Amino acid sequence: MMIETHDLTRRFNGNLAVDRLTIDVREGEVFGFLGPNGAGKTTTVRMLACLIRPTSGTARINGYELGRDNQQIRRICGILTETPGLYDKLSAQANLLYFAQLYDVENPEAQVRKYLQMLGLWDKRDEPVGTFSKGMRQKVAIARALIHEPRLLFLDEPTAALDPESAKTVRDFIEELKGEKRTIFLCTHNLDEAERLCDRIGVIRQRIIAVDTPDGLRRSLFGRQTEVQLAEVTPAIVDAVSGLEFVAHVKQDGNRLRISLADPDAQNPVLVEQLVRAGAKVQYVSEVKHSLEDVYLTLVREEAR
Amino acid sequence: MKKALIVFRKEWREILQNKLILYTILVPPILLAIIPLVMMYFMRNEPVDPEDLAMYSQFVAALPWLSPEEVVMYVLLNQFVLMFLMMPVVIPVTIASFSIIGEKEQRSLEPLLATPIRVTELLAGKTLAAVVPALLTTWVAFGIFLVGARFLATPALLRALLSPMWWLAFFVMAPLFCILSVAIGVVISSRVNDTRVAQQIGGLIVLPVMALAMLQTFGKVLYTTQTFALACLVLAVLDVLVIRMGSSLFQRETILTRWK
Repeated sequence: MMIETHDLTRRFNGNLAVDRLTIDVREGEVFGFLGPNGAGKTTTVRMLACLIRPTSGTARINGYELGRDNQQIRRICGILTETPGLYDKLSAQANLLYFAQLYDVENPEAQVRKYLQMLGLWDKRDEPVGTFSKGMRQKVAIARALIHEPRLLFLDEPTAALDPESAKTVRDFIEELKGEKRTIFLCTHNLDEAERLCDRIGVIRQRIIAVDTPDGLRRSLFGRQTEVQLAEVTPAIVDAVSGLEFVAHVKQDGNRLRISLADPDAQNPVLVEQLVRAGAKVQYVSEVKHSLEDVYLTLVREEAR
Repeated sequence: MKKALIVFRKEWREILQNKLILYTILVPPILLAIIPLVMMYFMRNEPVDPEDLAMYSQFVAALPWLSPEEVVMYVLLNQFVLMFLMMPVVIPVTIASFSIIGEKEQRSLEPLLATPIRVTELLAGKTLAAVVPALLTTWVAFGIFLVGARFLATPALLRALLSPMWWLAFFVMAPLFCILSVAIGVVISSRVNDTRVAQQIGGLIVLPVMALAMLQTFGKVLYTTQTFALACLVLAVLDVLVIRMGSSLFQRETILTRWK
């Protein structure tokens, strides 16, 4: 495991920011951390990156114990904070070189060159970052987070406040990183981004509400559903479908039927056969895929009740 | 120490990009070195004002190896030498607050504190960046003043200006002032978000030094090696107290959760 937390809790002046957080993040996994503003995402990242101490609970990062082995943890972690936090008067190269030296990178100049070239900023290396666009600044900040080749990368809202093109560049780069088998802990509000990038997702609202793969979350909340578009829906057709023993629920919406099934892969052929036998003219059969937004909003609203 | 030097170098790169800070570091020492020399040049052939002589009559008695004219010049030059001590007070607090508030404004503290640097190394780097230019400019300005005085002052006056009191002031008191000034800069920076406000508040710490200089100007006190040694002792105690306060504020947790 790259991250293991047990009952990790943080209070600020008595106010609970993170409540008994217990999660495991596997090595090489992209773990999405979703939650509304003030849910404790940044506080969790700050605790795991050894920036603030937990009030109670324990955590291990790559086997190192939080609190006892903080220096070792800092060496293997990279962090992209909510704002780029660059030195505006210094060049991109000077910004990165500073951090490379602080992380004791063996050949800092070569490493800086590698990331500036990788992110297409080598030609602008001597320009002060204060003159850069938001997207370019974010790229420099990402390069800074990676400069020491961390095994665990915390990304806090990496595409927030970026224009769509810059956001796509950043997302594509994260996908590249995913290919490098680094562990990425991604805090985001962007559910499409989470869907595309994350292997598993944790939803937090002070305490963890759910952890699973995006599909696992959908299944646990909504089950699996098949949608069938017919030329015409008659009561006899609905009765025929409802009569099947494996059908949990049927909902009619115009000429469409939405049918809840436990195992659509095995049961869809039988279902279609039954429909045809009942005289239905089948136009389309598809799986109902609830968006991650539906999942997230349902979870957060249920938690708020 | 290696990381403190990395921080020191980076701080200097930033300072070199900031003209306001550069002027703060360079202009006062140049003025303080030149003005007393110009004054000495014009005063050396002028008769002494009897009112001045009356004001400094007690000093004439205390410095019998100087002529009354030399005593008046000595006292006036002493004001400037005391003014030199304003540099190790003003420059470090200016640089320290620029550096720390600059980090706050740019929101660069969080990624910086996520690195394996120890906060003591970070503080040491920032302290060095503030103290080294202050001490260097103070010493260079004093050096220029002494070289000029070598040609303009009488031998007796020059000997008086080279008394142990001044060596104590420049090589013990000035570094102590620097450390005090940086520590105050850290304390101010933890509560303020605007560099100019921090510099204005920091500028207030120069007032006690000016008040001490004024006491001598108005003939109330003549500083000696003993009084400076005592002042050094008081400063050392103050340094320890303010450093403790500054260090307690300069912790990862405190910076990220309690600083304004």
